[in-house]
Amino acid sequence: MVTPNGEGVAVRDVRRSFGPVQAVRGISLRAAPGEVTALVGPNGAGKTTLLLILATLLTPDAGELRVAGHDPVTEPDAVRARMGWSPDFFGMYDNLTAREYLEFFAAAYRLPRAAARDRAAELLELARLAEYGDQPVHVLSRGQKQRLALTRALVHRPAVLLLDEPAAGLDPHSRVELRVLLRRLAAEGAAVLVSSHILSDLEEMADRVVFVDQGVTVGEHHMSDLPRVERRTWRIRALDHGALVAALSGRGRPESSWVDVELESEQAAAELVAELVGKGVMVTAFAPVGGALEAAYLELVDEDAPVQQIVLHPVQQEVRR
Amino acid sequence: MNAFLTGVVTVAKQEFRLRIRAGRWRWLLGAWFITLAAFTVLVRLALDSPGDTGLADRPFGTPMYGSLMLLVLGMGMLVVPALTAQSVNGDRERGTLATLQVTRLSAAQIAVGKLAAAWGTSLVFLALTLPLVAWSVAEGGVPAGRLVVTMLVVALLLGVVCAVAQALSALLARSTTSAVLSYLVVFALTIGTLIVFGLAAALTTETVTRTVQQPTYAPPSDPFNPPTGPPLGYEDYTYTTTQSRTDRIWWLLAPNPFVVLADAAPALPERRDPVTGLRQPSGFDPLGAIGRAVRMARAGPQPDDVAPQGPLVVDQPEPPRRPVWPYGLAANVLLGGAALLITARRLRTPVRSLPRGLRVA
Repeated sequence: MVTPNGEGVAVRDVRRSFGPVQAVRGISLRAAPGEVTALVGPNGAGKTTLLLILATLLTPDAGELRVAGHDPVTEPDAVRARMGWSPDFFGMYDNLTAREYLEFFAAAYRLPRAAARDRAAELLELARLAEYGDQPVHVLSRGQKQRLALTRALVHRPAVLLLDEPAAGLDPHSRVELRVLLRRLAAEGAAVLVSSHILSDLEEMADRVVFVDQGVTVGEHHMSDLPRVERRTWRIRALDHGALVAALSGRGRPESSWVDVELESEQAAAELVAELVGKGVMVTAFAPVGGALEAAYLELVDEDAPVQQIVLHPVQQEVRR
Repeated sequence: MNAFLTGVVTVAKQEFRLRIRAGRWRWLLGAWFITLAAFTVLVRLALDSPGDTGLADRPFGTPMYGSLMLLVLGMGMLVVPALTAQSVNGDRERGTLATLQVTRLSAAQIAVGKLAAAWGTSLVFLALTLPLVAWSVAEGGVPAGRLVVTMLVVALLLGVVCAVAQALSALLARSTTSAVLSYLVVFALTIGTLIVFGLAAALTTETVTRTVQQPTYAPPSDPFNPPTGPPLGYEDYTYTTTQSRTDRIWWLLAPNPFVVLADAAPALPERRDPVTGLRQPSGFDPLGAIGRAVRMARAGPQPDDVAPQGPLVVDQPEPPRRPVWPYGLAANVLLGGAALLITARRLRTPVRSLPRGLRVA
């Protein structure tokens, strides 16, 4: 469903400030066609600003940009014809039906009327909203609206897809579907650049990850060669919680039914397992907290932050209205 | 249809549809019509009232139609800013503008399409007055030319107010601010021009010394009767007086929408006063009266305005009555055009600088 064109997104040393605030101070990245590239960084790292620049809405102060083979500053229309963008904060036309909403955007992307109708029907199907097609948008749930907004970005079959926090506000089921959809778009040749806080999701959907912090690219990796992080937190559960806590004798932080222990290496983890088993503790689970992406992210973004203080799970997105 | 217009139509249809579905139109349009209908009925009754109100000249259509159109214009300028002042910044606040800007619609197409929808909405209000207009015309005294011209001028002026309100909503972040400023612009055009003209008239008042020839008569035999017989001769009589040089400042009144409307209305046939030789309006005609007043202001002080006596010359050369409305209409159309350009400029992306407190998306 997406026209491959072999161009993707290329950004070199892009800068952008708002008055005295330097939102982007030098981001470089690549998002190749056929791949899902995750843009990961804390709030205020410049992710949204970068996506606005790529989406032809903001000019950068400096730097080189290519989106689907065109410069978003000097050839915005060429970029718009090939790029789909879904912002982190978006409004809907509440009084339209879902179908009218999509048909309007299809017309805005210059699809002929008949093609627009077909495309809207196709996208409603894709967003599992076919039965809501003739309902006004305001009756849709938040997750349904989110899916509708995402499919709006697909109306013109873009070769480059820019998604700002697409998983925010989605329930787990919808997040899985989003993952499947983005994988499918990438498989069909689109370059997908997606920013998110939800690292566990990104880990499963992304091919590559770009870490940004304070407006600068701090790392760019294939998921398969994420830097190996030795020092991690391990979560231990046992049949008898009291016996586990006693056996650990002060190491780690006991919680209601498990204990989190920070360990220097996998070697240390293996040794601790052996020790606990040796002491007769019936261990039922012994696993690192968070995925490899999360560990790498925390390592890169803030080396001193204790792991357990970082919110690991979907942050309730602040709704700006 | 060319590509530009296709995009404009896409935006205009969408905006119009959103407007129709969003508002409580039944109440708004109902209140609008009832107000104007009540006004028209009252005017009609007043015209027909016994006694000498000075308004009772038939046909009644002339004063009915004239006052109705003045009121429609005035009320239209009150309604339009409220309907248009959040056209751009409201979309920004709701988060629907940026998703429109990243489509292949150009900034100009969005600006023109939104203006078309806003103007179209105001024309719905104008169209709603058509039954009352028809009644006035049926009363007689409204030539077809006057009907067509005044309707077009009102439609155009409402479009100008739409364009200005839209530009303000593109310039300012908050829709309340842009609404208030739109009303201030309407105030400046309607009341402001009058105030400035009044003050300027005082400032341009000058003292002039005039000399006229006055007839001299033989001393009357009877002091209680005016002199009779031909004057013995004429002698120079010099006096000083003040006059306001409205011929220098008439243009201050020109952009006033009421002036434009009234002066653009083609004059009705006039009759010539047999005594003074001056042209007189036939019957009470609000549009004509305003038009005459501003044309006289443009002509400035005339010698005969100030001559206290002087020989009565029946065939005095009449002061030229040059029209004011072309300037006023041009000024308004320029204002609207500039406003549309500003809107389109402000919608252009990618943007380099953002005003304080404004997000792209």
